[in-house]
Parts: sequence; structure tokens; C-alpha cells
Amino acid sequence: MAQEKIESPLPGKILSVKVKAGDKVAEGDELFSIEAMKMENPIICPVAGTVGDISAAVGQSVKSGDILAVIEY
Amino acid sequence: MATTKELIEQYIENRKKIVEMDPKAIEKRHAAGQLTARERVEYFFDPGTTTEIGLFVKHRTRNFGMDKKVIPSEGVITAYGKVNGRHVVAISEDYTAMAGTFGEYHGKKFVRAIDFAKANGWPIVGMNDSGGARLQEGMDTLEAYGWLFRSQILASGIVPQIAMLMGPCLGGQAYHPIMQDFLIQCKKTGFMGIAGPAFVKTQTGEEITLEELSSWRAHAVKSGQTHVVAEDDKDAIDRCKALLDFLPSNNKEKPPRLSTKDDPDRAIPELNTVIPDKATQAYDMYKVIRLVVDDGYFYELMKDYARNSIIGFARLGGRTIGIVSNNTQWAGGVIDINAADKMSRFIRFCDLFNIPLISLTDCPAYLIGSQQDWGGILRHGAKLLYAWADATVPLISVIMRKSYAGAHYGMLDKSIGADLVFAWPTARITIVGAETAASVIFAKEIKDAADPKATREKRIQEYADLYENPYHSAERGYTDEIIMPSDTRKMLNRALDILENKDRDIINSKIEYIKKHDRKYSNINL
Repeated sequence: MAQEKIESPLPGKILSVKVKAGDKVAEGDELFSIEAMKMENPIICPVAGTVGDISAAVGQSVKSGDILAVIEY
Repeated sequence: MATTKELIEQYIENRKKIVEMDPKAIEKRHAAGQLTARERVEYFFDPGTTTEIGLFVKHRTRNFGMDKKVIPSEGVITAYGKVNGRHVVAISEDYTAMAGTFGEYHGKKFVRAIDFAKANGWPIVGMNDSGGARLQEGMDTLEAYGWLFRSQILASGIVPQIAMLMGPCLGGQAYHPIMQDFLIQCKKTGFMGIAGPAFVKTQTGEEITLEELSSWRAHAVKSGQTHVVAEDDKDAIDRCKALLDFLPSNNKEKPPRLSTKDDPDRAIPELNTVIPDKATQAYDMYKVIRLVVDDGYFYELMKDYARNSIIGFARLGGRTIGIVSNNTQWAGGVIDINAADKMSRFIRFCDLFNIPLISLTDCPAYLIGSQQDWGGILRHGAKLLYAWADATVPLISVIMRKSYAGAHYGMLDKSIGADLVFAWPTARITIVGAETAASVIFAKEIKDAADPKATREKRIQEYADLYENPYHSAERGYTDEIIMPSDTRKMLNRALDILENKDRDIINSKIEYIKKHDRKYSNINL
């Protein structure tokens, strides 16, 4: 089982969390939305798999590189 | 005295000894999914056009039993031939010949091939597969690296240079592919780095696998040094040939113009609905690019690195163009340090090789914050400004939505050097977003108001109506024309038609400028 860490590509605020632990996800699914730089930035799932730990919650501030979730595949 | 017949027979025999490989060694490579060095060259060139040079070159080292060591072709094959009808020089390292190690005469073959390519005005393509420096040769090896680096640097900007990482390339030798224009890395077999895992461990204590340290993931995703990822040798060569098709043979030529059945005036109604109503919402920029260019064919470079930015080649009306754009689905399409680096070097490559540039802009800003400031976003961001201002090729900007503040120049506008600027009716071209502007200009008024929220919203709307649109810029002529999104392809093709001979005029005036001011080059922030 490999793991893909989902990192925030920019600093901002978590606007929404679209998945929960245990969800099956496909490549291209939206996992989070982050508000930053006048944009709602969708965080897109890079691999098909199962959502493991989610470490980001709505309203939370994140920095670039912060781990938001882990996808197991 | 040998007879002519004997000399000819001897020659055939000598040649055979060098070229013929042990069938077991060939089998071993094929089993690993790799071609031999000569098979790569043969697959690369059009059938029947390969001409090898330097086949008989031989090292002269005596120490450490090297006097008895036979290294066919010095572990590197140098050849010229044609790729889709045009001449190219190839340099292919042979891992089966003393692990393709790099020594004095191995290096001399590289230099000879590069100088030969430069003199003829032909692109250079390298196929890297080497165990590294041949330490038995001491200083002779070390100096040979320097000859290689210097000769490829002196050829940079004169002929295109493409590296294919098909095997290992670890140590100082990796500066060779890195300094070429484009780097294609094979997924399972291509490894590159300043040092391999064993050396890293003894020198720093860090334990890391070769796969993690030096593979395509390390460079196409993390370091941003690999432009294209390939499945295997043949895939890498196919991708290399497709890339060469976009390029001129040298800096004095224009790229070949292909014939296309795709109507240059083709209307694209889908573009009229692509921009979401909500300014904070993302959309698919790749779809826009594919709709605009000839036959939907976009050759993307560095797609897994700084994904907020998009660079690559395509054609319009059969002409090669370089596209620079923003991916609103990744960090809002913002320009950060990595995106600035990625776009700037691409712009400069296109300028060196007479390829018109088109920017498709939807960019909120340069990214701000401590991480970016301390990482030097200002000096990295400045590379984009230098690249645009120094460029001599046709420069056309299409502002689709956001073009704010520094990103307005960073993504190419008239003040930094664009020849033509088009804007969609959905464009927001202004110094800063209305919200920020209103809260600065009317700070006191909002604070003192009976209903601060209502006052703030009123002032934001006022600023947006006045400035956050394409008209403010078009009224001053900073934007040449506001166009229907569906006309984008037509307008770009017509712009390229009128700018066809721009580079010649500009280059002449640039040469005058350089002579007048006695300038060597601009001092770009590196």
C-alpha cells in the first residue's frame, strides 16, 4: 500500500473539506477548497485510492507544504 | 607490405570488432527494457541516414591496467543523421563499454560532436547512460568535463540542445544534461543527481534510495529540472523527435511552418462560456489552450512542476508558438518562485530560437507571504520581467480574466514589451482588486461611517465599475482590442501574420542598441 501525501500548494484558509476518512476517491476528485489570493483553490486528488487521515478542518489556516490528508492506494 | 585487398579486409575486421557486441550483453539490455547505444541512435535517425564519426577513438591511459582495457568507441557513439528530414547530431553513451564512463577521449568525442553541430547549425541530442567519471584517468578526466561544459555553453542559444536521461547520470557529469535546453527522463532507468545515494551516505549520513533521490519523480515533480517524462527508450526518442519538430535547426532560422487543415479563422463558441460567473472559481485552462491551437495539439513541458503555471509548444496556422499560461485549478494560477523560474527560462528559449510567444492570462498576483519573500520571490519574479523586456520575438497577450498588479507585467502586458494585447470582456485589468483598493482609499470614510459595511460595499462596487474591467485599459490603448472569446484563434493568427517579420527589425535595432551602449547583456536576476 503506497501513500500519497496531499500538501497545500499555497498559504490560505480551508474553505471546505469534501471527503472523509475511508472515502474512495478517483484521480481528479476535489478533496478540499482553500481560499487564498482572491481565489477558491480546489485541491485535486492526484491518485485513485482511499482517503486516510485528514489533518485539515474548515476555517483552519494552512501554509504551503502543510499536509492536508493522506491517500492510500 | 600488405596489399590493398588485405588493408580493406583488415579495416572491415577492425570495424567489426568495435561495433559488434556480445549477444549476451544485448540480451541483458533488452531484458531490462533498454536498447543498446547504437540501437538508440538507429531508432532516432530516419532510416538509412545515420553517419557515425569517431568510431576508432581510443583512450591513452596506461595506469591501473588501463593499457590492456578495450573500450569500444570510447564508450560513446557520436553520429549525425536526419530526423524527419532535418540534420541533427546525436551523442549516445554506451553503458556496456566500461559502463560508459567519462574520460579524456570520451569527453573529446562529446566536444567534437557539439562543435560539429554548432558549426553546421544542427541541434544536439544527448542520450545519457554512464557510470560517471573514469577515475583511472585523474586530471585528464576532470579537465575533459570542463571542455564539455564550456563547449555546450558556447553552443547554447545557437543550436537547440536536448538531453535524454536513459540511464544513470550522477555526479558533476549531470551538469551536462542540466545545461541543455530540454531534458527528457526515462521513468524506470533514468537517474540524475549531483551525487548518488552511496556518496550522500558517506558524506552526510543521509540514507536515501536511488529511486527517491534521483528518479523522474525527484526531478519532474520536486526539483523542476526534467521537462518531459518518458516510459522507456523508444518513448523518450519519440517525444524528443516531436519536440524537435517544433524547433528551428539553429538561431538563424525560423521553425518549420507546417501545413494544417485547421482553419486559422475558426470560431470557438465554447470560449464564450468558459469563464465562471464567480471570480473566485477555477476552470480548465488546458481545455482553452487545446481549443485555440491547431488540431488541439499542445506539447506541454514541466507539467508536474509549478503546476500553477503552464508552458509548452503548439502551432497556430502551422507556425510554432510558445504558450505561457496560468492554471487556475492549481493555487489559483498565482506566480510563485517556481512558476517564475519555469516560465522565464521558457520565454528566453523561445526568444533565442525565433518562436513567437503567446500568453493566455488569468493570474491573480505574484504569491505573497514570508515563505515567498524569504525565498526571494522578488528576484525570481524579476526573471519574468527581464525575459519579456529582453525578448525580440512577436509577443502577444490575451487577458482572459485576472491581470492584477505585478502579475500584469509578469504575464506580459504592453508596458513590458507586448506587441499586441487582447482582452476578453471578462477581463479584470487593474492595479489591485476592488476590495483591497476600496479598503485602502476609503479606510477613514468606512471607519467613520454610520454603516461601515454598507459604505465599504458601495465603495468596492464603485472601484470595480470604474477600474476592474477591460475598458479602463482599452481606453488608454494599453489593451489594443477587447475581443469576443470565440474570436481568440482568429485574432491570434492575424496578429502572427502582421508580426511575421518583427524579429528581424527588432534584432537589428537591438544590435544597434548594444553597439551604441557597448552592453554585453542585461544583468538578469539569477
